[in-house]
Amino acid sequence: MRFMKPLAATAAALLALTACGSGGSTAAGGATLKVSFWPDNPSFSCIDPFQVYWIEHRSILRNVADSLTDQDPQTGKIVPWLAQSWQISPDGRTYTFKLRDGVTFSNGKKVDAQAVADNATGWIATVKATNGAAYGASYIQGLTGAKAVDPQTVQFELSKPNSSFLQATSTTNLAITDPAEFQLSPAERCTGKAIIGSGLFVLDHYTPKVETVLTKRAGYAWGSELVANKGEAKLDRVVFNYVAEDSVRTGNLISGATDIAWPRNPFTPQDVQLIEKSGDKVEKRALPGPAYALYANTSAGKPLADASVRKALYKAIDVKTYASTIYGPDYPVVQGAFDSTTPYFKAQSAKLAYDPEGAKKLLQDAGWTEGANGFRAKNGTELKIEYPITAASPGAELLQAQLKQVGINLTLRTLTTAQQATYTTEGSYDLASTYFTRADPGALQFILNPQVANSKALAQRSATPEVIKGIQDLFAKALGTTDQKQTKQAYADLQDYLIDQGVVIPLFERLQYAGVSAKVTGFAFTSESFLRLNDVAKA
Amino acid sequence: MTRYVLGRIAQAVIVLWAAYTLTFAILFLLPSDPMELQLAAAGVQPDSLSAEQVAAIKHQFGLDQSIWAQYWHHLSGVVRGDFGTSLTQQVPVSDLLSQRIGQTLLLSVSAAVVSLVAGSALAYLATFARWNPLRVLLTRLPALGASFPQFFVALFAIQFFSFQLGWFPATGTQGFASLIMPVLTISVLTSSVLAQVLIKSFDETLSQAYITTARAKGLSRSAVHLRHALRNAALPALTILGVIVGLTVTSSIVTETVFTRDGVGKLAQEAVLAQDVPVVLAVVTVAATIFVLVNLVVDLLYPLLDPRISHTRGRPSGRPVAVVEGATL
Repeated sequence: MRFMKPLAATAAALLALTACGSGGSTAAGGATLKVSFWPDNPSFSCIDPFQVYWIEHRSILRNVADSLTDQDPQTGKIVPWLAQSWQISPDGRTYTFKLRDGVTFSNGKKVDAQAVADNATGWIATVKATNGAAYGASYIQGLTGAKAVDPQTVQFELSKPNSSFLQATSTTNLAITDPAEFQLSPAERCTGKAIIGSGLFVLDHYTPKVETVLTKRAGYAWGSELVANKGEAKLDRVVFNYVAEDSVRTGNLISGATDIAWPRNPFTPQDVQLIEKSGDKVEKRALPGPAYALYANTSAGKPLADASVRKALYKAIDVKTYASTIYGPDYPVVQGAFDSTTPYFKAQSAKLAYDPEGAKKLLQDAGWTEGANGFRAKNGTELKIEYPITAASPGAELLQAQLKQVGINLTLRTLTTAQQATYTTEGSYDLASTYFTRADPGALQFILNPQVANSKALAQRSATPEVIKGIQDLFAKALGTTDQKQTKQAYADLQDYLIDQGVVIPLFERLQYAGVSAKVTGFAFTSESFLRLNDVAKA
Repeated sequence: MTRYVLGRIAQAVIVLWAAYTLTFAILFLLPSDPMELQLAAAGVQPDSLSAEQVAAIKHQFGLDQSIWAQYWHHLSGVVRGDFGTSLTQQVPVSDLLSQRIGQTLLLSVSAAVVSLVAGSALAYLATFARWNPLRVLLTRLPALGASFPQFFVALFAIQFFSFQLGWFPATGTQGFASLIMPVLTISVLTSSVLAQVLIKSFDETLSQAYITTARAKGLSRSAVHLRHALRNAALPALTILGVIVGLTVTSSIVTETVFTRDGVGKLAQEAVLAQDVPVVLAVVTVAATIFVLVNLVVDLLYPLLDPRISHTRGRPSGRPVAVVEGATL
């Protein structure tokens, strides 16, 4: 038994060690809200408002940094926030904002016209420093600068009209922060250490892939008219963590280990049932912006360079079955290039109707004849479509099965995120899925306009140069006016054009789900389906 | 004795260097370009940059140097404790490691201790039991334990103990309760491996002449088992201890990911997915160091337990060789 003694001693020491580790961190008294996200961005850890495109981090930032304006989730109307009122010049190139008095950043500095103007300077500098890659670039197209007219009046100057600029001022990425942050490099700002906003929470720390913690801002008193509680937060602390497994995140909600389970992909019908059975609530809202869609690689020699094959995809993909099979019977069916909550949305349901016979005929007429193995071929080349995914999913498999019905061989290639980036850059894919969230159709530029796109490789290959030009022209028409009617017409034409040219192949409408504990009250989505914490309290 | 110790230390250093070099070579041979990856993450396509910009970025990360210069640069950095900067997080890799290594060490050491206790107890019972069916059952049990995939054990434990019974938290690193399921998940494998080796070596020891002598002298069964057999049977188990500790470290990758524990294992998983080369390299180096150190300690303990080993002149590698059966390394 002699050697058992040191063993026991080690065990005791370990127990003591863990006991030390278990203390701390929970603030005494006040309520701490725990929110569980899916994993943090694997390749770009960032929490700087202007640079981050990661939906979850924009949700966090909504509660840290206020914007000049706010957007009503019901109507899409832009309402006052840090700006009390605003004027747009008749030529659409000057935006004058009258700021609210008495607003301060969490470090005590005033939110005045100069601070706002310095933000504009900082955004423009960031776009330059990142070669237009910073995600905010598509929000400030045409912006040349801003100046403080008087301490409460700030004027933005644009080189050409941009009808989506007013909506842009309501977003998190044009949220106003202490301009001192712009002295740091874009990469340094991503760590969040210098992000000082005027929001109802203060960013305590962001540890990439581990957690983000917010603490209550004392003296907050300038919530927009869209919230009931315009004053201080009803929570002391909010802890966001990242949980990889969907089932674990849901289980944590049900077992009370977390208060809000915030998945990226919609809950499965089983998860919804589980959550509701346990007495918790399921909240959902369509994320505005481009729907979850496939974008083709139309480079010469690729199967999808053939317009008939792209057209056949619309007829071969059964989006109704996709929605009901993967996400449940009451899940909305995608109706076009955009999700239905996007302003200027125009449904294209008829063009997306399921018609396998029609698909077969299109392919047959284009010279793709069915071979012995059930797949079609032309001049000895099989109709094989490379579709990279990061993990096997029922959705990808259903798509594969649906395309097989008409003789298209969809090859699912599981890659790591790192491999996928290279795969896209090199153009080895045939179909790539992507989406983007913004309550304005201009959001699609972030995918399709090579000048401001997140992946220029994907944007350039998504259509022929003529079609890309056509898309850019329609965007220019929609944006380059102050006439709402013209904007509306141009966006309607654009939505037709995207489907007619086979550029966007929609798969499903993106719903932001949230599993909310029964103990939590006041849950609300913003117009971009982000989390708004002003009225949230925890019993 | 000094020669034995020095020999072992030299061997440890060489193994460590080899592990580092091999990892460096593998990562370097990967098809994707680390600079391109980082640019793609930030949304920049390399073709949209001017030649000077590409050169500046390459210079910033030392990618413009020859492979040998880069290797030397990295290696000398590692010796000084500088692992470079993470490509995806823009912070020193050593910061990431120091932030996370505590959780992994706690998990690994706890799992190693639990495995040692559980594995030894199982082996002891399996060889001590007289009733044959029980003996067979206990002897077969480790093979079963070593065969269960860890993610399965982990997810099952979460479903049952966290969601059904609500005994332990499913995720996080808060408190002792959050440590229990991850430790048990790892221990199922490692204690099985240990038990397998120990049972075999117990069986061999118990068939030796000196055991028969001890029994003939009228010693009780338990006295023979515990005092006489265990000490000799434990030698191969000590060898396997190094493997066990190594296993607990590698197991942390799956375990920490499933239980959302922010340790080095999860860091490794994240870094591999994002091909964050400096982080992967650092994690491998740290894991190799732990492995090498534990084995060094085991080697140095040998002569203390069995004086024959260091006395075998000219054959310092005369330690007993353990056979690991069914271990999924």
